[in-house]
Amino acid sequence: MIAFTTPYLWYTSRATGVVALVLLTATVTLGTMVATRVGGRAVGRFEINEIHRSISMITMLFVAIHVLTTVVDSYVPIGVFSALVPFTSDYRRLPVAVGTIAIDLMLAVWVSSMVKDRLRNATWRYIHYLSWLSLAAALLHGFTVGSDAHRLWMIVVQVACLVVAIAAGLWRITQRPDRAAGRTAHSPLSRAQTAPATPAKARTSVPRSEPPRRTPPPAPRPRGRR
Amino acid sequence: MKRRHEKLFLRVDPILCDGFGHCAELAPDIVDVDEWGYPIIKDAPLDARRDASLASANLAVRGCPRQALWIERIANTN
Repeated sequence: MIAFTTPYLWYTSRATGVVALVLLTATVTLGTMVATRVGGRAVGRFEINEIHRSISMITMLFVAIHVLTTVVDSYVPIGVFSALVPFTSDYRRLPVAVGTIAIDLMLAVWVSSMVKDRLRNATWRYIHYLSWLSLAAALLHGFTVGSDAHRLWMIVVQVACLVVAIAAGLWRITQRPDRAAGRTAHSPLSRAQTAPATPAKARTSVPRSEPPRRTPPPAPRPRGRR
Repeated sequence: MKRRHEKLFLRVDPILCDGFGHCAELAPDIVDVDEWGYPIIKDAPLDARRDASLASANLAVRGCPRQALWIERIANTN
């Protein structure tokens, strides 16, 4: 490989690494908010879903720049191969491998979401749980090889990411809606329409096992699935 | 078969639907929710000439976290 090194590559790599860590934390946190069905009043649930999807794409972009600048910079001997396959880097093998694992898990989550309509929902969800491992690996990677990892401001950023991630995880475990809770309509539209029309007494009289079905039963889906 | 000879319907797979309610927010002109948060879709075909309902139906299909929605094309018989 052609020797090519400039401090600006290194600066870019450091900066995008920090931003990618923050964005990854934001992505995971927003994902827990989608799963626990936050929103419906001030912010739409669909908006949280859209922000989750968009920020995940921006995260991948920053990770790509982070990797690219590191690979191009010949000061650290990390090639394209060892950016994707763990434990092959000649530079700081173990901590770089942790970052590589984070990227691989991110890619797995991304690809599984791209082909989501070909997967069973449970399969997709178990793959999506890998994003927690990815975030943990990213934090560990940043703490071990980050050039700024032990500066005060970076410690603040890392602790903030860790605290937010743990809080989101606890929120996900404790606030996870069971099926019945998911059946409560939180949409402002639905509340506006059902609240004056159906009083609480009428609501409880409808048997839970037989929701009023006004939609016709669907035809078999044209797309191949399962 | 030409495009103008088919009708478009937004459909939901009730097995896949988990009652997130995103479709009712994205396509409020087509989708109501019942009191458990599951969608009740208007039975009228989507109007492709008045683009708004078809556009919001597409947004609902794309925004569904369970991929439970799709747009069905039914050919006119006449």
